[in-house]
Amino acid sequence: MPLSPGLVGDLQRILGPEGLVLSHEGRLVYECDMHTFYKGAPDAVALPSTTAEVVAIVRLCREARVPIVPRGSGTGLIGGAMAPSGGVMVGLNRMNRILEVDLPNRCATVQPGLINLSLTKAVEARGWFFAPDPSSQMVSSIGGNVSTNAGGPHCLKYGITSNHVLGLELVTGRGELVTLGGKVADHPGYDLTGVAVGSEGTFGLVTAITVRLVHVAQAVKTILASFADLEDASEAVSAIIAAGIVPAALEMLDELMIRAINEGTGAGYPKDAAAVLLIELDGPAEEVEAQGERAARICWERGALEVRVAQDAAERALLWKGRKEAAGAVGRLAPTYLLQDAVVPRSKLPAIMRELGAIGARHGVQIANVFHAGDGNLHPLILYDDRNPDELERAKAANEELLHACIAMGGTVTGEHGVGLDKAKNLPLQYGDADLNFMYRLRGVFDPQRLMNPKKLLPAHPACGEGWRPPRPRLPEGAWI
Amino acid sequence: MSAVTGTVGSALAAIVGAPRVQEGEAAPASFALDGARPRWVVRPETLLHVSQVLGLAWDAGLAVVPRGSGSAQELGAPPARVDILLDLRGLDQVLEYNPDDLTVTVQAGVTAAALAARLGARRQFLPLDPPGAEARTLGGMAATNASGPLRLRYGTLRDLLLGVRFVQADGVTTWGGARVVKSVSGYDVPKLMVGALGSLGVLGELTLRLHPLPDAEQTWLVPCRDVATAQELVLRLLDSTLQPSRVELLNAPALAVCGAPRSAAAIAVSIGTAEAAVKAQGEALGGLARAVGSAAARPAEGFWARYAAALAPEESVRLGVATLASKVAETVGEIERAVAASLSGAAPTIGGSAPLGSLRVSLPPAEPASVKAIVERLRAAVAPAGGSVTVQRAPRGVRLAVDPWGPVEPSAFALMRALKEEFDARRVLNPGRFVGGL
Amino acid sequence: MEQTLGAFRGPDAPDLDELRTCVHCGICLPQCPTYRVLGEEMDSPRGRIYLMRAAAEGRIGLTPTFAHHLDLCLGCRACETACPSGVKFGSLLEATRIQLRRHGPPPRHRRLEDVILSVFPEPARLGVALAAFRLYRRSGLRRLVRATRVLRPFPRLAALEALLDDVPAAESLPPLIPARGTARGRVGLLTGCVQRHLYPGVNRDTARLLALAGYEVVVPRAQGCCGALELHAGRAEAFRSRARALAAAFPDDLDFVVANAAGCGSAMKEYGRWLPATAGFAARVRDVAEVLVEADLPLGPLPLTVTYHDACHLAHGQRVRQAPRALLRRIPGLTLVELGDSDLCCGSAGVYNLLEPALARELLALKVARIVETGARVVATGNPGCLLQIAQGCRQRGLDVTLVHPVELLARAVAVRAAGRRGASAPPSEASETD
Repeated sequence: MPLSPGLVGDLQRILGPEGLVLSHEGRLVYECDMHTFYKGAPDAVALPSTTAEVVAIVRLCREARVPIVPRGSGTGLIGGAMAPSGGVMVGLNRMNRILEVDLPNRCATVQPGLINLSLTKAVEARGWFFAPDPSSQMVSSIGGNVSTNAGGPHCLKYGITSNHVLGLELVTGRGELVTLGGKVADHPGYDLTGVAVGSEGTFGLVTAITVRLVHVAQAVKTILASFADLEDASEAVSAIIAAGIVPAALEMLDELMIRAINEGTGAGYPKDAAAVLLIELDGPAEEVEAQGERAARICWERGALEVRVAQDAAERALLWKGRKEAAGAVGRLAPTYLLQDAVVPRSKLPAIMRELGAIGARHGVQIANVFHAGDGNLHPLILYDDRNPDELERAKAANEELLHACIAMGGTVTGEHGVGLDKAKNLPLQYGDADLNFMYRLRGVFDPQRLMNPKKLLPAHPACGEGWRPPRPRLPEGAWI
Repeated sequence: MSAVTGTVGSALAAIVGAPRVQEGEAAPASFALDGARPRWVVRPETLLHVSQVLGLAWDAGLAVVPRGSGSAQELGAPPARVDILLDLRGLDQVLEYNPDDLTVTVQAGVTAAALAARLGARRQFLPLDPPGAEARTLGGMAATNASGPLRLRYGTLRDLLLGVRFVQADGVTTWGGARVVKSVSGYDVPKLMVGALGSLGVLGELTLRLHPLPDAEQTWLVPCRDVATAQELVLRLLDSTLQPSRVELLNAPALAVCGAPRSAAAIAVSIGTAEAAVKAQGEALGGLARAVGSAAARPAEGFWARYAAALAPEESVRLGVATLASKVAETVGEIERAVAASLSGAAPTIGGSAPLGSLRVSLPPAEPASVKAIVERLRAAVAPAGGSVTVQRAPRGVRLAVDPWGPVEPSAFALMRALKEEFDARRVLNPGRFVGGL
Repeated sequence: MEQTLGAFRGPDAPDLDELRTCVHCGICLPQCPTYRVLGEEMDSPRGRIYLMRAAAEGRIGLTPTFAHHLDLCLGCRACETACPSGVKFGSLLEATRIQLRRHGPPPRHRRLEDVILSVFPEPARLGVALAAFRLYRRSGLRRLVRATRVLRPFPRLAALEALLDDVPAAESLPPLIPARGTARGRVGLLTGCVQRHLYPGVNRDTARLLALAGYEVVVPRAQGCCGALELHAGRAEAFRSRARALAAAFPDDLDFVVANAAGCGSAMKEYGRWLPATAGFAARVRDVAEVLVEADLPLGPLPLTVTYHDACHLAHGQRVRQAPRALLRRIPGLTLVELGDSDLCCGSAGVYNLLEPALARELLALKVARIVETGARVVATGNPGCLLQIAQGCRQRGLDVTLVHPVELLARAVAVRAAGRRGASAPPSEASETD
């Protein structure tokens, strides 16, 4: 439904001609994030520069009962930054300033549009960094990271975004500007900051974020271990974790992925390997040394073809460059793919890798793997050509089967990408009606009109419906009063 | 007894079995909350029991106070009503321990000591060390977001709780989070439950992230000529590549209780890592200590147990003061002055995580008016930095005289009130005890 | 019947498979100058590719909005460097612009563009039109002298500066310059249009250095413009005729055809895509830095602090980044400091600064701010457009910063070395000379 002329006029007055995109072409380019399978163009794109503008946009849209969809850099993988119900998309990428860096208190306050890596770049010369490092960190915004509670390779040791967010400034779906948490570690009351991180814009629009900064470690060691067999590599991962080693990152790539990355970045991963582990340890020099030796020994014991330690920062950067650009490099393998983000208990890694192979064979689809093995977070890329409808159907079938397999092993449907439109339908695999209903009501506390990022995060499910209440406990005989 | 009471008692007995319900005077005096005996003490054995008890309480409009080991019964405002006290110590099963995944799922009544015994065999641990942790239940520690010195390295339960099964006020059993170490599927409901004092749900099962025990660990104590020097040392330490597990600041009275050598203040640091790294990091710490004109020394064995005891003496008034790391020295000074002014020269025991600006203060027993004066003065002092002062433990009179939680940012409190209204409109769960009387 | 691809018609349409290679990851966004300034998806490479694909799929037409956002692109190709999927944005853009010129709305600045494109690629006309710029160039050299005030203890060098300043600006090169010392081969030199008139010294220095490196240098008199400006403007026919003529102007027996203007070199290297018959010529094209970095030039000291700006069509278009830096580092006494965002476009982008002055100014301000951070007073870069643009930006901010082509510094270092040798009382040994 197109926006009313009154609303358009009001938005234009607030944002100016450069701050509101209304053209057909302009709305079109905002119709999807990196998950291009899902398309939904907004009726307008607002590009605010100030918090006051954001508040005004939310209040106007609330009055007009128009959906609001937040967007950062549009690098999400879940159909999050797109507008399935139309409405006003709010691109926060112009709000990209660092508001404060406070190293004695180990924190910084930034605007949501700031690119993740820009924060690290601003403090690295002084020996600090921002730990969450999604592979998109060179482009994804911190606001987007907060919205999806993004992870990244190094969250194995350092934790995901929510472990690093101290406070938020949020314009809720109620149209109120609220301050949650802050630089000080403890705040009385409910941990609204914690629950707002990962809420995918369904609570409101974040306009400022206070994050924890981390001091760089004394030593870093990056080890590349290649294996002739995917299963050996999986077993090495489980063994490393079970041995009490907590690497900063523990990544795995399979044969197909190695090929694409080598072509893309020339990262120089071994060409003949069926799997490569990228193990990074950081911390006190002697700890890194000791754990590095232990990890290398485990790899050799599991039949590694080669265990190589990056000799300098340049080699380390090259090994990581390949990993970070993996998702983009897939363009070299197939025009389109379905990307999963399911998690299994890490001890189940060998089992799920076997299962993955079988699923791919069963449906006749190629599956490339590049993932955070250390925390069991899979990223199978199911390749297909969207010009071939049959291929798409097979890819989708493989995708569903794979998710069920992960859940059956005690896993979760998404480890770090978020739910968005893509995985909303899968939440009932993992949650019961009561659980979904609780989340539905939680959303309503922040956004009673349910205008914020509609159709995302929660499924169209009876438990997520107005007026639905979960069944109450049945009391035993004699317990009624 | 009234007919209604009789009916509730028999209904509860029908749920959990008569031996697990005690009515009125039959319940032990230790179950009294702020001097008021609950009308019923119920000891559920299963989560289903909890769900049914709450279902009943919801229908009957009864107030339910969940209880673990009972160590935090003087936290928060005095309860508005206490009808049913839910003693959760019967939920004491470790449900699933996956050492290769470093995760464990426990019932809420499992104590830290019982869990540690299970994990130690695999050289793993749950890094949670508030004072008296051993005897405390995991559910209780989650509900109060209890933490100790190890939070510097490992975080609090906010970071360690992966999944939670809880019972809503109306008796509906609900699950949030995941059983794996990484998940963003749906809202992060466990965060909402940590530190909520059971006011949104009674915690039943917890899935927790575990950590490997370090190969070796050592503790050093660096005496400082004043608190400002201690803060300076902490800031330098944080801006180094040292990887400490604990960095605690102690004032002179705290040091005295710990039996440490006398000095105006000290920093206690522990480092847990590979053996060679402990040695090297210890030497680096020594260098930092020398740079501020001090030296790092090894305290006598058992330092951390003495420290925990020092921070939580019996019969004391305990405050939690949250400030910025860069304002710790200033805040400690203000605390000492405020206490001296109101309690005729008495000296508070102060300890806490200096890097996090999270201080624990204990005062000798005092009149409510005096404590009120201290708390209000400190609140004014830490407010500009966004800090807070909470009364963690005090007699009822004190907690009536001064709001134990202090002010909450109004826009955030509006959301908190809306949450409570959404999930416990009948005010069944711990009514009146949480922030703003929620 | 004419072949169609959505809104695109006839030959020179963007390649749909190439468009589909984009996986919409957005890694290009922060590297895109227009996105950095405007913060709008249609002004990002990902957005532009999305627009092109939408046009190819017939979802949108070649509308004024479409044309506007494609015109706003600087064509710097920083997105190609960033792209992990290897999308060839430059050629997609060129094809789309060709389509726009043929089938799209009239360009917003058509009159201005007509004037510019009637002057720039015509060396003779440009010579007349830009006579006034010479003064400006001289003032630039004076700045260099000022920048080297630190060299006062080296009077010979200071004198050399003065000497160079006196060389007539319009001197044209002889058609053949013999190799000095051992012959390595035979190369052709593109003299360009802007370079020839605004920076004749750069051509002269290039020729000298190539000769010194052991190359016989052929400078065809008949050579015209490379056509890059027309290609970027989507004027396919004009571009093709220039490209054909330029390729024909050079003899077939050259080892390399050397360009010292990044934009020209980049376009020439890609002739084959548009004119398969010129592929052989294109394969021989090299930037001057690529050729000189293989040689062993006798360089004397230049105690200068220099920073290096990556010209887009050198760094992104030709992937030449290290060679110019390596050459500068070989100059004894020269300190090369890295420039932040060195490969972010300065806003010059061919004639973009004339067509979209506001945006170009913003980019220039960013560039100049980064230069200030380095503390360097000499900025080297391998493209005349950048030289002009950045020099103007520095002058407007009142900065005492001189813009030079790397070959100018190399030639100066060679001259210092030669002067040192001449000035020595006794014939010095190689060893003592480099002390």
